[in-house]
Amino acid sequence: MFGLPTITTILVGGTVLLAVLVLLIWALTFREAA
Amino acid sequence: MVEMVTLTVVVLYCVLLIAIGSWASKKIHNSEDYILAGRSLGFWVFTILIVASICSGMTLLGVSGLGYAAGWPTIWEQIFVPLSAAFAIIVFGVKLNHVGTQEGYMTIQDYFAHRFESPRAMRGLSAVAGIIVSLIYLIGQYTAISIILVWLFGIQHWQALLIAGIVITLYTTIGGLYAVSWTTLFQGGILILGVLIMAPLVILQAGGLTSINGALAEINPNFVQPYMPAGAPAFTPEFLVSFGLLLMIGLACAPHVINNVLAAKDEKYFRWSPVIAFAVYAVVMFLVKFTGFAGRSLVESGALVLPEAINAQDFILVYSIQLVSSSVFVWAIFAVIVLAAVMSTTDRLMLTVGTMFGWDVYRNILRPSASDKEVLMVSKVSVVAAAGGTLLLAVNPPPMLAWLIWMGIGVMLATFAVPLLAGLYWRGATRQGAIASMSIGLVSAGIFGYWHQYVAALPVHFSFYALVLSFVAMVAVSLLTAKNDSGILDSTCTGWFIQPK
Repeated sequence: MFGLPTITTILVGGTVLLAVLVLLIWALTFREAA
Repeated sequence: MVEMVTLTVVVLYCVLLIAIGSWASKKIHNSEDYILAGRSLGFWVFTILIVASICSGMTLLGVSGLGYAAGWPTIWEQIFVPLSAAFAIIVFGVKLNHVGTQEGYMTIQDYFAHRFESPRAMRGLSAVAGIIVSLIYLIGQYTAISIILVWLFGIQHWQALLIAGIVITLYTTIGGLYAVSWTTLFQGGILILGVLIMAPLVILQAGGLTSINGALAEINPNFVQPYMPAGAPAFTPEFLVSFGLLLMIGLACAPHVINNVLAAKDEKYFRWSPVIAFAVYAVVMFLVKFTGFAGRSLVESGALVLPEAINAQDFILVYSIQLVSSSVFVWAIFAVIVLAAVMSTTDRLMLTVGTMFGWDVYRNILRPSASDKEVLMVSKVSVVAAAGGTLLLAVNPPPMLAWLIWMGIGVMLATFAVPLLAGLYWRGATRQGAIASMSIGLVSAGIFGYWHQYVAALPVHFSFYALVLSFVAMVAVSLLTAKNDSGILDSTCTGWFIQPK
């Protein structure tokens, strides 16, 4: 994709997606201190 | 004509900044207002402040320059640096904001002094280390501003420095963190919009991403790989691991970044702020990096010629934008974008140095009986002194400057990461462990940095070795010494959890 080797697309794209996913999970499970 | 339009836009921009500073100065009634904007920062002001404190002008020029020079293996920088914003907010911010509001912390040194029951040694050590590294950074920022102003107007280096220095010092001194955070919201907005508009133009001019990657692969097949092959001087897989740690954790614990978490108004901001900070920052930085790639392809095809200079790669962003748009307005706005990026880091650094001196060194160590008014005054004077001193050094930069600036973030990682992480998450971390870990990190980062630069190149980033030593010192010394009082550990929310119950 984008004229890149598959491994580059997967590693870079995968890391970004993973980071966003982790941060979204953080947001959805966040609870305020009482 | 070009000079007139650019000059007008830049002058308008500076006038607006000073106006914000003057509005902010009316809100300053005590040192808490000055240092922490009265702990009143709203969601967007807080989130953009974190992003823009990390993002400097050299980030813009350096990011595209590195993309130009080495292609895709450098893309990790654009993932780890935005992650540092999220890391600072989640791993340090949630607890520090919670405890800070309850205990009335003004700076991160207040946390160290409280958590490690060390009101003088830990406070003094971390304040002095923080001031030294921030000052080194500051010189680099001023040098960056003057490079930009000299390009734009063809004025003398010292004149450029004087103008920028006066504007930033003025609004920072009178308005404290109120002025710094609100000017940053404005500067951040310009920066984000500007990059979103301009980068796609350059990428399109170079024929789109597929065509750019094709051109990169022809120059050097490694340019489209995710890392450089073993034996390359940088960006090998093992280098990338140390580089990732350095950027993600080192930037997150830099004093001008981490102190921001104490100023957020509401704990619930910490829910969405990490993902928004990451997303905004990553989009902007990916676009800037792609502009560097596009620039390389344009230079290769002969459409663009870079000047003859040692750091020619750092000019790629400026030259690419000049190529795609001949409009003087676009050019003027571009000038403001780069200025906005540098100034938003510079003002935060100056304020950090001022408050670390005024609050930690003066109020808490030298003169504990000082009144609040006196502390406020000393902080303001230190901001001006920090600006004046670093401006003088930037006019005539010492030959070691490049090395020192490059050292700065590595020293930050080695000095602050372990005491902060262990302090927040390990109940066994003791005062002696923290002092040992901080001083060994500071000293060994200096030694390894010097070794890498002047003796023999190291295979991974120099800060990694210092980080390991700092970690070992923390664990070994803490295990041998008596634990801190459990009441204090409870009130500082110390333990293996992120969110206080």
